[in-house]
Amino acid sequence: MKMLHTLLISTLMGTSALMAQLPSVSSVKPAAVAEKWQTRTAYVRFFSTTPVEDIEAVNNQVSSILDPLKGEFAFQVPIKGFVFEKALMQEHFNENYLESGKHPNATFTGKIVDFDPSKLTGTGKIKWVLRGKMSIHGQEKEMDIPIELTPKANKGVIEAKFKVVPEDFGIKIPSAVRNKIAKDIEVSVKADYAG
Amino acid sequence: MRFRYALLLGLWAGSIGAIHAQDDLLGMLNEGTPAPEKEPVTAIFKGTKIINGQSPELPAPGVMQFMILHRFGAFSDDFFYNFFGLDNAEIRLSLEYAPVHWLSVGVGRSSFQKTYDGFAKYRLMRQSTGSKGFPLSIVGYSTANVQTLRWQDGQPHNESERWTYSHQLVLARKFSDRFSLAVTPTLVHFNVVERADDPNDVLAIGLGGRFKLNQRVSFNAEYFPQLNPAQYGPEGQRETYQNSLSLGFDIETGGHVFQLFFTNSRGLNDPSWIARTPGEWGQGDVYFGFNISRVFTLKPPVLPGE
Repeated sequence: MKMLHTLLISTLMGTSALMAQLPSVSSVKPAAVAEKWQTRTAYVRFFSTTPVEDIEAVNNQVSSILDPLKGEFAFQVPIKGFVFEKALMQEHFNENYLESGKHPNATFTGKIVDFDPSKLTGTGKIKWVLRGKMSIHGQEKEMDIPIELTPKANKGVIEAKFKVVPEDFGIKIPSAVRNKIAKDIEVSVKADYAG
Repeated sequence: MRFRYALLLGLWAGSIGAIHAQDDLLGMLNEGTPAPEKEPVTAIFKGTKIINGQSPELPAPGVMQFMILHRFGAFSDDFFYNFFGLDNAEIRLSLEYAPVHWLSVGVGRSSFQKTYDGFAKYRLMRQSTGSKGFPLSIVGYSTANVQTLRWQDGQPHNESERWTYSHQLVLARKFSDRFSLAVTPTLVHFNVVERADDPNDVLAIGLGGRFKLNQRVSFNAEYFPQLNPAQYGPEGQRETYQNSLSLGFDIETGGHVFQLFFTNSRGLNDPSWIARTPGEWGQGDVYFGFNISRVFTLKPPVLPGE
């Protein structure tokens, strides 16, 4: 009974907090909602380099959506879409490291820091920071990723380069291959919403 | 009480509309993405062999695979005198290449009876998920083997006497990330047998499975019961040929799969381990063995561009 009360009260509080936000959410004009930038062919490449071995994989099946009014964004990376030069490596990557059967997608969702939609109407490159939740291998981490946005055809192209540490996402590298896989993996992203 | 639940439900329903906006964006991405109609199931087994028998796996297209199979002498055969079976070990080397995703061809050489073999493995169906998926992988595997011992008996011989063949159909399914099973109907053909009432064609139904213990180690087991085993040994004596039974582990390291196991079969080319296994587990005729595979990417896939 006590539990029910607690549950009820906490839900009430949570809901009222959400309800307070409701008007602002519903006040967005339907026309503006339709203008979200979207792509299904964004490109993600990662690169691991050690003195022993360089490993590269690319994925051009990445989807992304960006709200040009609020600066909110989402990326979804299908893990099985990464292509390696060595087929066995690709299999190990899916089976043993990223466990893509259990965790088929990596995602990154959040909001652009200090977003100003009026800047999007210019022509020059804009430097912004994506702040959000990165989820890889079923584990989440808050990350800030600096990007460069180039306006193009009323939309734009986002490019970014950053580093990911596999251990942060519970991806264990066995000691036998530790000298072949870098501690931090270089990731580059290109999402062309106008393309 | 009932009122409280109703209130709870009502509030909960009211809050649905206010799901966090960013999750909403992710939802919108997923909405537009149709579920793939057919997605192949990968790594049903880790290697191209379960132990002695074939798994449904082929090397990736453009990949050449080199394999070393090794069986030490039996525990029952003067094990320490033979330095842990090392002195009387059997070995097979093989090299194969997969020009396309559904075919692999190769050659091998086994020390037992100085046997050369050629083989082809071809994928007929692939286990896949999705609305147009298929529940099984079906792979054919055929070998032609020729032993090249010098004739010792001073009798005239026909060279065709040296040849043996095997044909298999591997029916396999990955039931979960950890557990896979293969059933392998097998036909072994001997051009010549010891006695006229021995069968030239031996039928067997192989069973093989793997259970993953962790990310890099799996336990594998394999049993090949024969339906009509031969009755006579190489000198024409009565012989009770056994069914091959092997138990062991797959250990994955970076570039190769390492298999360690115990088996009662000493022969390494298919007809000899499937239909000519005299060794009995109960008598200590157990051979420790390993398989090592190493792959070489001859034709790397084209990485997608931006």
